Amino acid sequence: QAIDDDCNQTGQLLAAMLDWPQGTFASRVQLEAGAVRVEREVDGGLETLRLRLPAVLTADLRLNEPRYATLPNIMKAKKKPLEVIPAAELGVPAGAPRLKVLEVQEPPPRAGGEKVDSVESLLGKLRHAGRI
Amino acid sequence: AMAWRAAPRAAARLLLGRRGIASCIDPSTGLTEDQKEFQKVALDFAAKEMAPYMAEWDEKEIFPVETMQKAAQLGFGGIYVKPDVGGSGLSRLDTSIIFEALSTGCTSTTAYMSIHNMCVWMIDTFGSEEQRRRFCPSLCSMEKFASYCLTEPGSGSDAASLLTSAQRKGDTYILNGSKAFISGGGDTDVYVVMCRTGGPGPKGISCLVLEKGMPGLSFGKKEKKVGWNSQPTRAVIFEDCVVPVGNRLGAEGQGFSIAMQGLNGGRINIASCSLGAAHASILLAQEHLTVRKQFGEPLANNQYLQFRLAEMATRLVAARLMVRNAARALQEGREDAAVLCSMAKLFATDECFGICNQALQMHGGYGYLKDYAVQQFVRDIRVHQILEGTNEVMRMIVARNLLQG
Repeated sequence: QAIDDDCNQTGQLLAAMLDWPQGTFASRVQLEAGAVRVEREVDGGLETLRLRLPAVLTADLRLNEPRYATLPNIMKAKKKPLEVIPAAELGVPAGAPRLKVLEVQEPPPRAGGEKVDSVESLLGKLRHAGRI
Repeated sequence: AMAWRAAPRAAARLLLGRRGIASCIDPSTGLTEDQKEFQKVALDFAAKEMAPYMAEWDEKEIFPVETMQKAAQLGFGGIYVKPDVGGSGLSRLDTSIIFEALSTGCTSTTAYMSIHNMCVWMIDTFGSEEQRRRFCPSLCSMEKFASYCLTEPGSGSDAASLLTSAQRKGDTYILNGSKAFISGGGDTDVYVVMCRTGGPGPKGISCLVLEKGMPGLSFGKKEKKVGWNSQPTRAVIFEDCVVPVGNRLGAEGQGFSIAMQGLNGGRINIASCSLGAAHASILLAQEHLTVRKQFGEPLANNQYLQFRLAEMATRLVAARLMVRNAARALQEGREDAAVLCSMAKLFATDECFGICNQALQMHGGYGYLKDYAVQQFVRDIRVHQILEGTNEVMRMIVARNLLQG
């Protein structure tokens, strides 16, 4: 999930383009012979998949504990060369982005709820709103 | 009231201030990008690897060797030691920032680490190439630990009157005497010992590096202390202890000067440990004041307590500036560095003890319980006003500077 648009698409797009299986939001990864067992964080809990290799995985924050940076590495970081490679040199067709942001909206403000006085009344209202 | 200490990631963020809200006691203000990075690593390490264990280490008197070795892997074993022998080659100010941060996790352990760092620096700076390569790498990695041995039963503040004798015999010295209150004594491997090779006074003192296992080197009983319980303190005893001449740092008669130069940095480090403890205590008090209610409202609504908290914060920032100013002076080798280090040590250790003590008072009865961290900060930093030169000796040094010029 990119920190700008939060789209959560890159790993999935890559898997589709390569026609490889995907295991996204991985919180646990175990390699087996020719396959990988992936535990995924999903809304309902955890889902475990077994994917034939090669596969595309995307990591959830629960996958690993980040290492501490060491003092020498912090100092070396500033001196590391920053190589700039134009996209054309990599054979990537340059051009305008193919996505255009049309509109950005805040979600509607949360409306107040309604109090009902009986279970029948509750069921009636839910049915009326198409929720059940 | 201890929620933030139980959540390490939240703790590190809390100590560095919430985004958008400039905390007046934020320790990262005025620092370079690199220094902020060092500070972040140290705060993270303190919150995750030290804070959760600080009470247990204190209660069970555990010397947390593995934790310190983990810290050494990050470069904290020889912070201001040269990189060619395994050190991190950072400045005195960087060092102060790091110890201040680590101290928020466990002041006692950080204080020991600062003593260890001081010893490695002494060998790095005054040792020959051969001695540097022999001792420093394993000390920087904390594969081995070091102790600083100056104080004796008969000589504390009057350090130059020390009696431990080192008689030259062929290509060895034979040591007789004892050292008192040695931090790490008995558990550490390398001992930097100031002893008398010549006549009375400072000019007769030399510095020898001893290793555990040398014949004639033994240790007293482990002292029972009010604080600093995550480091053992013992007497170090020399009975016809044989030390090769090749273990002498610098020249004969240079030992006292080496010891004092080590202490200049040591004083900044100890003062930095006090800063960390005081900062942590202010945060604990801040939280308690907002959570605890009496007379129908949070304690934080009382102007008296608001004013006291403001005073604590003001004194913390003043102390921090004194310490960082002294660190810069020492780094630059300025003439006034030694006296500034003494002033900083005096001011910061006194003020920070007051801050921690006041924070304990604000907790009321809870502050006196060992379930609450604030009492351990008070107990741990109390000794900072005494060791590495008592605050009375610090006054002597400042007065001498003012009146002898």
